[in-house]
Amino acid sequence: MIRKDFPAVGEHYFEQQLENGLLVRVIEKPGFAKRYAFLATNFGSIDTSFTAQGKAHRVPDGVAHYLEHKMFDLPAGNAMDRFAQTGCGNNAFTSYAMTVYYIECTDRFEENLKTLLEMVMTPYFTPESVEKERGIIAQEIRMYDDSADNAVYENLFSAVFRHHPVRRSIAGTVESITDITPEILYDCYRAFYAPENMMLCVMGDVDAAQVIAQASAQTPHTVPAQLPVRDYGPDEALSVVQPRIEAQMEVSMPSFSIGFKCKSAPYGPERMRRELIGDFAAELLAGESTALYARLYDEGLIDSDFSIGYEQIKDAALLVASGDSDDPDAVYAALLEQAERIAQEGVDRAHLARLKKSELGRRLRGLDGFEGTCYRMCASYFDGAEYFDYPSVIEAITAEDVELFLRETVKPSQAAISIIYPKEKKEECICF
Amino acid sequence: MEQRIEILPGVFLTAVQTDKFKTGCFSINFLRPMCRAEASMNALIPSVLLRASERYPDIPSISARLDELYGASMGTLVRKKGEVQLVGFFADFIEDALTGEPVFVPVLEFMAEILLHPLTKNGHFVPEFVEGEKRNLSNAIAARINDKRSYATSRLLQTMCREEAYGVPRLGEMEDVARVGAEGLYAHYKKVLAESQAELFYMGRKTPHEAAECLQRVLSALPRAQAFMPVGTVQGPAPAAPREVREALDVTQGKLCIGLRTGCTVRDESYPALLMLNAIYGGGVTSKLFQNVREQMSLCYYAGSSIEKFKGVMVVSAGIEFDKYTTAKDEILRQLELCRAGEITDEEFEAARRYILSELKLAQDSPGRLDDFYMGQVVAGLSGTMDELADSVLCVRKDDVAAAARRLQLDTIYFLEGENT
Repeated sequence: MIRKDFPAVGEHYFEQQLENGLLVRVIEKPGFAKRYAFLATNFGSIDTSFTAQGKAHRVPDGVAHYLEHKMFDLPAGNAMDRFAQTGCGNNAFTSYAMTVYYIECTDRFEENLKTLLEMVMTPYFTPESVEKERGIIAQEIRMYDDSADNAVYENLFSAVFRHHPVRRSIAGTVESITDITPEILYDCYRAFYAPENMMLCVMGDVDAAQVIAQASAQTPHTVPAQLPVRDYGPDEALSVVQPRIEAQMEVSMPSFSIGFKCKSAPYGPERMRRELIGDFAAELLAGESTALYARLYDEGLIDSDFSIGYEQIKDAALLVASGDSDDPDAVYAALLEQAERIAQEGVDRAHLARLKKSELGRRLRGLDGFEGTCYRMCASYFDGAEYFDYPSVIEAITAEDVELFLRETVKPSQAAISIIYPKEKKEECICF
Repeated sequence: MEQRIEILPGVFLTAVQTDKFKTGCFSINFLRPMCRAEASMNALIPSVLLRASERYPDIPSISARLDELYGASMGTLVRKKGEVQLVGFFADFIEDALTGEPVFVPVLEFMAEILLHPLTKNGHFVPEFVEGEKRNLSNAIAARINDKRSYATSRLLQTMCREEAYGVPRLGEMEDVARVGAEGLYAHYKKVLAESQAELFYMGRKTPHEAAECLQRVLSALPRAQAFMPVGTVQGPAPAAPREVREALDVTQGKLCIGLRTGCTVRDESYPALLMLNAIYGGGVTSKLFQNVREQMSLCYYAGSSIEKFKGVMVVSAGIEFDKYTTAKDEILRQLELCRAGEITDEEFEAARRYILSELKLAQDSPGRLDDFYMGQVVAGLSGTMDELADSVLCVRKDDVAAAARRLQLDTIYFLEGENT
């Protein structure tokens, strides 16, 4: 077990990579009632094409999410029942790039961690149980189908990326999940749920040495093997598939997402630096403290739900501006115009310095949240970076970095706009 | 642990001192009776105030000030607890000890500046700002339809409580927003400041005394009337026969919502039993609804119940295929009958109890949940702590739960369905 100190954030953690390859990291938080464990695997919805042990696989869309649902099954019953016996909160989620299982409890942490480890380390899928889940997941997908927030974003990704699997929904479709069988789940499990492809983060009033010893005893005594080779398709050009994508849904006003495709940063610390540059660029372009934001807000073109930021999922990257507006095209035009102005005039140095101070304060405060902190630590680890290095990375970012990013990114040839319009108004139909 | 101090007439501070967090947090809430006449005006006031003050006359200067304070957050709060509307602001900020420069005092000064010194024009709010925030509020009210799950719940409650103050939505009604003018809103703002009971919450490293002293100073200009607007909630009666309502929209999933009157609120002695009933019936993954409607019958992704503890209402909701309406409704009501008959296994009972006790303990690590709990206690006129509530949950027996279930009265069933069904 090694201890790593990060004086700039006033934190330290204990860490050990187990012999089987699992990375275990613990942040002791004495005085908290909550004990939290977050077990992440570097396997997400985008990992549908891969070669494992010399065999090429192409699995249906939505398989990572389906697998997440089925991991709760154990030969002796459902893990949720065991968590219930100790009053332990638990849940799981699947994103484009990872699958996460987490627990939070106040008492009997050791027992609950044991269940979590056992559940994720024990694949157990039967034709009956896989079949039964299909109806539940289909309803989950239908729920997302009715969500405009979800649709506006997914449509954008499909308009921006030509090959990369981020262009398909995380949960798949009602059709794509019909082909999922226990065999497919086993294949994916064997390929991606190897300890060396996972990370366990624990926070709360716990003893780090004890947690690490427990994880070592209760995870498989295997040795790291070769991880599967993932295929995200041919390299993406910076041009988009289509500059515009529209749909109609039952919403009150148009919502939009504007994406500017970026060059992706390579695996390693550079990814974190690029993410921060992207976020500062977004803030300086149209963040709340800019004159552009104030103008668009005053003109009623955006409201306080407007947001802008950088996103990177493995090697897919883009700057996204989203919100609700009666005239999304006016917002789009204003962003391009402002980027042009910044290209000529440069960014305001004092403004960037203020944003850095703000970002440092917010990230520091963010460490109060166990889930967010564990998530960021895992995401950085899977990207080949150390999350707690952010203060020095922020420090080193210059106005020139931001200007270059904006020049290379915010231009019409790399942009797509996704809009969800309200349905045509009809007679209100309420039958008592 | 917590302390409630009257810092000015009718202005109370609940303060919890802790050094666990890197974040200090604060909220200020003015208590108003929920009613159509003022709901939308009350909801508008914090948004208009956060547009411009005398010292920070526009959004960039407000935003820059918060950035300078290490990215402090300040936002508007509009809450509805029973028939009480709470409006004001929250602020989250980094603890002084972590920056080596003061943040706590400047944040509270900033909050007071925004609250007490709005930018004015001709003696009232700037009309452009009022019009802009009216548009945003109207959009927010219209946007209720975007999230179908919460839309279905709000339509159920609107139908169920249409004769009661509780039927007024949290943000008011769109027609009322349109009628607000800059002058009338400013007069109402003055009235809200002077004539409302105000409740403050602080959690962080300062002692309650330090926090009270600072707040007393920054709020010294807050006008105070002789008497304050009384607030409270009354329980409504259930109808003689349950109502069924259907609404059609172009959606792919149906939303079933069932409203019941609990005959019991947080003020009643039987409240802990109702809390247990909710957990057993539909409160989580061990509940009867989750286990049967989802896990056994695969009818849905979510099925659960929740209670509005101030008003005495329980809402059951599930997202289902349109043609499963009758099957799902029957099963949901059948599970309730089992609760009424006391058919609750020891496992269900103990799992529910552990779930509640764990939630109450976890909440002590969450400033947001503590704020919400204490504001709720104030609204209900109660003074108990979460620990005391946990103790009373320990005394609940299965009979009490069955009795709480028997007191439930079915009021309204709402179904959001597709257009061609």
